[in-house]
Amino acid sequence: MLTLQGLIAELCAFWDSEGCLIEQPFDAPVGAGTMHPATFLRVLGPEPWRCAYVQPSRRPADGRYGQNPFRLAKHLQLQVILKPSPDDVQQVYLRSLERLGIVAAEHDIRFEEDNWESPTLGAWGVGWQVVMDGMEITQFTYFQQAGGIDLAPVSAEITYGLERIAMFLNKVDSIFDVPWSESLTYGEIRQSEEAELSKYYFEVADVGLASLLLDRYEAEAKRALEAGLLIPAYEATLVCSHQFNVLDARGAVSATDRVGLIRRVRDLACACARAYVSNRGGPPVPVAEPEPATAV
Amino acid sequence: MKRDDFLFEIRTEEIPAGELEGARQDLARGVAEALSAERLTAEEIESYATPRRLVVWARSVPDRQPDREIEVLGPPAASAFDASGKPTRAAEGFARAQKVDVSDLAIVESARGRTVAVRRTVPGRATVDVLAEVVPRVVGALTFRKTMRWGKGERSFVRPVRGVLALFGGRVVPMEIMGVRAGDSTTGHRVLSEAEMPVTAPADYFQKLRGAYVEPDGEARRAAILDSARRLAAQVGGRIDADADLAAVLADLVEWPGLVRGTFDAKYLELPEEITTTVMRVHQKFLPVRSSDGLLPHFIAVMDNAADRRGFIAKGSEWVLNARLADARFFFREDSRETLESRLRELERLSFQERLGSYAAKTARLEELSAAIAEAVGRGDILHDVRTAAHLSKADLTSRMVREFTDLQGVVGGIYARAEGFPEPVWKAIYDQYRPQGQGDDLPRDAAGAVLSLADRFDTLAGLFRLGMLPTGSKDPYGLRRAAAGAVAIAVSRKWRLDWSEIAQKALSLYPADLPGLSTDRALAELEAFFAERLRNHIERAGSSYDEISAVVNVGVWDFADTAERAAALTEARRRLDFRSLVLAFKRIRNILGDRAHGEPSPELYREEAERALAGDFLQAKGLLEGLVADRRYPEALETIASIAPSLDRFFVDVLVNCPEEDLRKNRHALLSAIRKEFTKLADFSEIVVEK
Repeated sequence: MLTLQGLIAELCAFWDSEGCLIEQPFDAPVGAGTMHPATFLRVLGPEPWRCAYVQPSRRPADGRYGQNPFRLAKHLQLQVILKPSPDDVQQVYLRSLERLGIVAAEHDIRFEEDNWESPTLGAWGVGWQVVMDGMEITQFTYFQQAGGIDLAPVSAEITYGLERIAMFLNKVDSIFDVPWSESLTYGEIRQSEEAELSKYYFEVADVGLASLLLDRYEAEAKRALEAGLLIPAYEATLVCSHQFNVLDARGAVSATDRVGLIRRVRDLACACARAYVSNRGGPPVPVAEPEPATAV
Repeated sequence: MKRDDFLFEIRTEEIPAGELEGARQDLARGVAEALSAERLTAEEIESYATPRRLVVWARSVPDRQPDREIEVLGPPAASAFDASGKPTRAAEGFARAQKVDVSDLAIVESARGRTVAVRRTVPGRATVDVLAEVVPRVVGALTFRKTMRWGKGERSFVRPVRGVLALFGGRVVPMEIMGVRAGDSTTGHRVLSEAEMPVTAPADYFQKLRGAYVEPDGEARRAAILDSARRLAAQVGGRIDADADLAAVLADLVEWPGLVRGTFDAKYLELPEEITTTVMRVHQKFLPVRSSDGLLPHFIAVMDNAADRRGFIAKGSEWVLNARLADARFFFREDSRETLESRLRELERLSFQERLGSYAAKTARLEELSAAIAEAVGRGDILHDVRTAAHLSKADLTSRMVREFTDLQGVVGGIYARAEGFPEPVWKAIYDQYRPQGQGDDLPRDAAGAVLSLADRFDTLAGLFRLGMLPTGSKDPYGLRRAAAGAVAIAVSRKWRLDWSEIAQKALSLYPADLPGLSTDRALAELEAFFAERLRNHIERAGSSYDEISAVVNVGVWDFADTAERAAALTEARRRLDFRSLVLAFKRIRNILGDRAHGEPSPELYREEAERALAGDFLQAKGLLEGLVADRRYPEALETIASIAPSLDRFFVDVLVNCPEEDLRKNRHALLSAIRKEFTKLADFSEIVVEK
């Protein structure tokens, strides 16, 4: 049996051995590991960067009241960033599966086109979903742009869907039957939380509050940027992004409001990205050694 | 001359299935064209593609270019030799510069007259050198829908290039493709084979690939998939749907197709079949299995593997499908707590377009517009069904099922309406309202569905045109081209003859008068031009030529069915009848009259015999024509029109149109004008292209 925590430990150990810094999760609600500053900001600029971390990721609209064996309002991603993308990145990824006891020749492993785009982050990439035996287990993306800025070098982003891999390895039919540890299941830890989160996001969440928070944090992000405080500005941007998702789950975002709301969040994300790049060498932005003559 | 084979393979990370076939063809064509531009023609060019490689095999290419004779031109002959024929200093200088003896100079005729020249043989270059130069260029010129950068981000291709094999006559052609040096080895299937394999020749290459679980031929992979799928389906007493598209996609997702059959929980068969098969086909790329009684609880999955040795693949696939179907059933049950009618409230909150209001507002417009269309096409009998269908048409947009499976909009509403016991014309109209999705797609099955689909299209077009949001170039975010093309296709196929500008005006009038953007008149004019373009495309696909299309469209756009029918009649008539002299006569009339119309001719002012004859023939034909056009007997009408040509010819020969007498001249203009007016109701013949 490979428990969820064992799975996380194995993957972290694997990526540690591949030279990755092991980061910690971002400490506020985000929709995906990509939003963590360790990805969104660090993929900008020329500095090499390798890191891995677990990110609890909230997708309010995916909530199923803890009743669907496959869907969660909050799931766990294990995110890996390799910058620049190494030539043998697919093989390295397959080796990481081997570490989990997945022998590729005994499965059907396919890389199927799935380009990723985050309109709210002004980011997009090209890549695949990795499908094993009909199940998506990983999102694999070559980042082309973040915060509206073209990226060179290009980072490879590998995002493992931890619950699904754990289900698969343990041959259980429900996420909630996944052994989290030797003695506790995922359901024991999370099922009631899922039920509550789903009910909250779909039925209870105060649309007016979400809308208000979005407005206020948008202003706050701008204020922080003006004060030269990049990380607080970016954190406020992530609050906007999450409140947008809350509104969406409540069905309070129409197809066209969507465009305007997304643009507002994207403008903030792009402003943060520009501030990060223009601040190279100052906190919190590193400078690669030696300094390239034509650095941005 | 010695000939050898050129074998070229680019190995990449997985190329998207949708790009593969185009990339294979473009690469093969590029190599063929580059070779022939270099005067090196292959006996045959074969090409193959898998998700991880593009392969070109140029058979029997000469190992060097043929030598080429060239002439280097020098001074004019007159200044190179004196009167006695002795070379001047000019000739000597040229010979010296060209490193030949003066006696080797020749005199040739050039554009400058008689000119001194040196003939020289340029030896052909070795093919391997030519290939090394041109093949990287061909690869660099390939285009894809979407390219990407990787690593340092310096190069751009469909996916990262990870290996290159380039052999000519068994030797490596030195080149670099996207930063990767060409070599003489290949690799097999990613997980079923390990070592690099050295390759000596094409036959060796293909044998080694197949031995290493790679079938390079996409067609062979597709055929294998369909064959095995049929066999596996038959084993459980079923068959697969003829789904060549899905088989082709699957063939482009694998290097070595193996198939497994799986089973899903039979309880999911209670779901509407459209939903179950969409989950299988679209989401899982599984082939559904059915018997004559309906779906069976089996599916067939294609794997990129030779065998499911430990059963993991079948079990995994079953497990995922069951979960997906559980999801669908969850949506279905959630949705069935509400009726379509009760969902309408929610449409208030669902915006159709920022400035065009909610889907509730759209629904209100659709009820009115579809009723107007039903009346206008003479189907007052279905008015009630059409109104009901329009009323409920957008309700499914609020359903969980459509939010999850967006490509099932309409279909889901139709299924729910059927379950709620609405009459067949109503649920089918809701079900079919988005048909046709594109060119060649099924049209709405019933009249009510056709009316609803037209209403939806006109409403969307009218709203966005009012806002001035016309498609530009490749940008058509609201799918307006498709919307208009679909409206044309429905109107034509239903033979609903109608001046659709009335419907367009009605649709425009249903929006608030104070919308920012174009005036109603401007929007209508833009719509006419927009529909004209869609109509042209429609008619062109039916086989009419460009000039025939212009001829009928010039006469009128808005009755789509009628325009299409006039075009068909004209195209057909041109095969039977000689329109040449008629067309020339109408071009001549246009030259004389311009676009002006003139009054009625007076018979007492006819002077010439040919004039009277033409007027007589015209009056007779006119009477006949009116009846034929009213009955829409267009082939006969065109025959009648063509029959006037001899009298017109004679008129132009015998009669001086622009004569000095003003009254006679004006009367002749009036006669020609009357003929043009009557005879161009079907087509503007002056648009037809004929040889002079």
